[in-house]
Amino acid sequence: MPGDPTLSLFPRDPKYEGLAQYNRALFGLDKSPWEQFVIYLQRTVTLDWGTSYRLGEPVINVLAGDLAWTLLLVGTSTIFTILIGMLVGSYAAWRRGKPFDITSTGIGIFLYGMPIFWLGLMLQATLGNPRFHPFSWWPVYPTNLYYDDTLGPWRWDGAHIWSTLVHLILPAMTLALGSLAGVSLVMRSSLIDTMTEDFVVTARAKGLSERQVLLRHIFPNGLPPMVSLIALDLAFIIGGAYQVEVVFGYRGIGYRTIQAIDDLDYPLLQFIIVIGGVAIVLANLVSDFILLRLDPRIKIA
Amino acid sequence: MATIDVARRRAPASLLAASLAVTARRLGEVWAEIRRSPTALVGLGILIFFVAIALFAPLLAHYPPLARVSESCNPICPGSPPSSQFPLGTSSRNADIYSEVIWGTQISLFVGILSAIVASVVGTTVGLISGFAGGWIDEVVMRFNDIVLSIPWLVLMIIVAALIGTIDVAGLILVIGLTGWSLTARVIRAQVLSVKERMFVERARMIGSSNLHLLWRHIFPNAFPLIFANTILTVAVSILSESVLAFLGLSTPDHVSWGKIISEAYENHAILNGNALWIVVPGLCIVVLVFGFYLFGYALDEILNPRLRRR
Repeated sequence: MPGDPTLSLFPRDPKYEGLAQYNRALFGLDKSPWEQFVIYLQRTVTLDWGTSYRLGEPVINVLAGDLAWTLLLVGTSTIFTILIGMLVGSYAAWRRGKPFDITSTGIGIFLYGMPIFWLGLMLQATLGNPRFHPFSWWPVYPTNLYYDDTLGPWRWDGAHIWSTLVHLILPAMTLALGSLAGVSLVMRSSLIDTMTEDFVVTARAKGLSERQVLLRHIFPNGLPPMVSLIALDLAFIIGGAYQVEVVFGYRGIGYRTIQAIDDLDYPLLQFIIVIGGVAIVLANLVSDFILLRLDPRIKIA
Repeated sequence: MATIDVARRRAPASLLAASLAVTARRLGEVWAEIRRSPTALVGLGILIFFVAIALFAPLLAHYPPLARVSESCNPICPGSPPSSQFPLGTSSRNADIYSEVIWGTQISLFVGILSAIVASVVGTTVGLISGFAGGWIDEVVMRFNDIVLSIPWLVLMIIVAALIGTIDVAGLILVIGLTGWSLTARVIRAQVLSVKERMFVERARMIGSSNLHLLWRHIFPNAFPLIFANTILTVAVSILSESVLAFLGLSTPDHVSWGKIISEAYENHAILNGNALWIVVPGLCIVVLVFGFYLFGYALDEILNPRLRRR
C-alpha cells in the first residue's frame, strides 16, 4: 500500500510529470514523513480532515453520504442480530442439553466460522437469483446501489423508501446471520452461568414459578455481560459490514475503503479509521450507560 | 538455612523430571477426556483430514501450484464447467480448480497456524508481563490493548500491511498475527492474576525465587493449558482473516489460497457462468476447517479450564 498516490491519478508518462509534481506539492507529499505527520496532527486538532486526492472534495462531505448508508445497513442488521440472538440464546439456555439447544449451538458455531463475504455470495446465488424466487419486486443482486436508480435521486417518497428497503434485505440478512452466533452463544453461556448461582436455587426453593425465576432472577443477572459484549462485537460487525458492502456493491464506507486503498487516497483512509474508532468508543460509552441502568451495584466513580 | 540452600541447589534436575512426569500424566488425562467428548473427536477428525490433504497435496493435486492447464488462451480464458478431466472445472486463468483447492489447503493451514502462534506469543508475553508486574505497567499495557481492540480489525490489518510493505507469506502471517493478539493478552492476564495469588507462588517467593523464575516455572506452566486452547481458537480466526484479506485483494501473488480462489471466481461471475462449484467448494473448505478448529478448541477449553469444568 505505501506508494505515490499521484501515480494512480496520472499515467506514467513524462508529459504528466509536471502535473504529478504539482499535485505532490499540493498534497504535501514532497515533505518529510515527520513534517507530514505534524501537519496531519495540526489539522486533526482543528478538525480539518483534508481533501480526497481522487475526488477533490472535502473528505467529510464524501464520507457523510456513505456513512448514512452504512449506518442504515449496520443498524438494521444489528437490531435483528440482538433480538433474534438473545431469543435463541435464552431459549437454548432454558432447554439446555435438549435438541433445540444442541441444534442451535451447532448451527451457531457453524455460522460463526463462516466467512461473511462467502455467506453473502451464497445468499446472492440462491435468494438473490431470479430463477429461485417468485417475487417480481425482488431486485437482482448484486444491485450496485442502495435503491433502484431509475427512480432518480433519493427523495422521501414511497417508491424510494420501498426500493431502499427491498435492496437492503439481503445485505442486512447476511450481516445479521454472520454476527448472530456471537450474540446467541454468549447469551446462552451467560444465562447458564447465572442458572447455577445459589440465589436461583433459593428462588426455586421459596416456591417461585419457573417463569418468575427466569424473568426476575436469571435475566437481570445474565444480561450485563451481554451488553458489554455487544459493544465489543461492534468491531467485528464493522469488519463484516465491509465485506457485505463489497459483495453486494452497497456503496457505503466499506466499499469506499477498498476504493481508497486502490487509489492510495490517504486522507480518506485516515478519516475512515477515525470514524471506526469513534464508533467503537461511542458504543462502549452507550453500553456503560445501559449497564448503569441495568445493574444497581455499578456507580459512576 | 542450610536445608533451603540444599533444596534450591538440587531443584533443577529433579524439578525438570517432576514437571515432565506431571505433564505426561496430564496429557494422558486430557487424552482420556478428549476420547470421551464427541465434539472434540469430530473437531480432531476434521483437523486430521485437512492436515492429511495438506501433507499429501503433491500426490492429490493433478497439476503443480499456479500451473495452467494449457497455453491455448492467454491471459484470460472463458473457463470451463466441471468435467471428468477437471472435477471442478477450470478457472479464467486456465488453471485446474480442483488442484488449486488442494494446494490452497497448505497455505490456509500454514498461514492460519503460524499467525496464530505469532498472536499467541505476543499476546502471552504481553499478558504475562502485564498481569505479573501489575501497577502502572499493567495500566499502560492494558490501555494500549484497549486502543488496539477499539480499531476495527480489518482496517488495522490494512494499516499493518501498509507498514510491512509488499505482501509475501511472511508478511501476511505478521499482519494477521500482529493484529490478533489483544484478546489473547486479556485472557492470559486474567489467568495470571488468579495464579499469582495462589499459595505455591507465595511460597516460592518466600524462599527467594527471582521474578523470572516465578514467571517461567510457576505462572507460565499454570497458564499453559489455557494458552494452548486459546491458540487453537485463534487459528480459526486467523484462517478467516486470511480468507477475507485474500478476497479483498490483499494476498500474495505467488500462492493460491481458498480466499483467493473465491475472489477470482467472484470477479469472473462464476455462478452466472454456470460453475457454482468454483465458489462453493473453497468456501465449504474454509467453513468446515474453521468449524473443526472451533469444535476442538472449545472442547479443549472445557477440558483444560477448571472454571468451566465445574458446571
